[in-house]
Amino acid sequence: MGFLTILKKLRQKEKEMRILMLGLDNAGKTTILKRFNGEPIDTISPTLGFNIKTLEHRGYKLNIWDVGGQKSLRSYWKNYFESTDGVAWVVDSADARRLSDCAKELHSLLREERLAGATLLVLANKADLPGALTLQEIREALDLDSIKTHHWRILSCSAVTGENLLEGMDWMLDDIASRIFTLD
Amino acid sequence: MNIIEMVFFHLYSVLQWYFRPFIKWFLRKTTKLCELQRICYGDRVGTQRTCNIENSLMLSRTKDVKEVVTFLDAVVKERRFIPSNFHQFLEPSINIIIRVKKINRKIHDAFIPSFRLCLQQIWCYRQLIEEVEDLRCTQFDSNNTSHEEKLLNLWDLMVPDKPLEARVSKDWQYIGFQGDDPKTDFRGMGLLGLENLLYFATEYPQVATHVLSHSRHPKYGYTYAIVGINLTSMAYYLLKDGSAKTYMFNSKPHLPDISLFHKFYCYLFYEFDKLWIASKPENIMEFSMIFKKFENAIRTELADPASVFRINVEVDTI
Repeated sequence: MGFLTILKKLRQKEKEMRILMLGLDNAGKTTILKRFNGEPIDTISPTLGFNIKTLEHRGYKLNIWDVGGQKSLRSYWKNYFESTDGVAWVVDSADARRLSDCAKELHSLLREERLAGATLLVLANKADLPGALTLQEIREALDLDSIKTHHWRILSCSAVTGENLLEGMDWMLDDIASRIFTLD
Repeated sequence: MNIIEMVFFHLYSVLQWYFRPFIKWFLRKTTKLCELQRICYGDRVGTQRTCNIENSLMLSRTKDVKEVVTFLDAVVKERRFIPSNFHQFLEPSINIIIRVKKINRKIHDAFIPSFRLCLQQIWCYRQLIEEVEDLRCTQFDSNNTSHEEKLLNLWDLMVPDKPLEARVSKDWQYIGFQGDDPKTDFRGMGLLGLENLLYFATEYPQVATHVLSHSRHPKYGYTYAIVGINLTSMAYYLLKDGSAKTYMFNSKPHLPDISLFHKFYCYLFYEFDKLWIASKPENIMEFSMIFKKFENAIRTELADPASVFRINVEVDTI
């Protein structure tokens, strides 16, 4: 039995997953996290540093890391890459002005070696806002179809209404589980 | 452990509920004073006295006392508990309580002013919670000229020697907003966050510039405005859960009002900056930890009713 197999067996026992939430500032990462955890979402301040939440979902123990998205913090994102199973990339669907910025950050993230193999879930947040771009527009602007290195999926969602959050998370869990928990 | 604590607490409250009237009756017979009088004569003026009076009023099972509480709460809901109305609302309330508690006005003339101050503090604090909530719920609106003026005024106060390049500009990052338009940064704290920042810059210009210069430190720098908004959030929660009573009730001669809330915020900002610089953080990612540590330290201080808070305005000008 190789070292990797032992590691995988250990994790299987715990059924633990590590998920990283990233995206530009004001995308709604903290709001999604709080919403997912059933906390109030009307008093959120911009994140400096990071928030961690550990929660149980469908028998898995999820460690979700929500790291601040402002420009000066992005160089620290790499400190959180180690052993990440899934990346939730959060986009503000109503912020057309910075969509190219968003695409650039996403693609440089995907080139990271330590994130190789991680599942990518793109959450097009704030889809309920007037003036929000359509899912197709965001998919093209982010050039998602060029991604061959990661399993990915895009969903439009809203942290305020809760629409599609669970669907997105469930898809990511299934994808990660099929990869790391089904070796034997 | 937790369950034992819970059982104990539950038992304690049940016992208190049954025995409190008996203990009160006993003390009343032996001291010839009602509980309100014993508090006003025995407890130190400020947080200790006012919080005990509030507790006693809230636990009272006398119909008239309950009515006074409901009446004053209704005044607060309409935001009418302001100094010019105190006489109108407080004198009848005090008279009712003096009557039901059979207090002799002539013998106990020291009781009334002391009790009146407690009532003022209690209901000013409750009204302040409402006012702060109103401000927090007001979203920053770019179409509202008064909001825009406040924002531009903040820039002029913080960076007096350099005019802002444009309303939407990278300049804002200099004072620690996230992007080139501060409006989205106010989100959960609304106008309250902006009013706090503005008060700090207006009332303590030297301290604010001093703190801003720290935030620009090449190694231990942080984003001034975003930290400010996180401190607004902290001050807001401390106010709402009642922890800030210690600060407000010990701030003689001020009664709790919006400017006292701003002063509390300024105190927090100044103290946080001190702790941050003293912690020599590796980088900005340590913010969450240091901020939590700061909050715990403040909560410990507030838990002691004798704590008095003063912003130490002496700042090195070198």
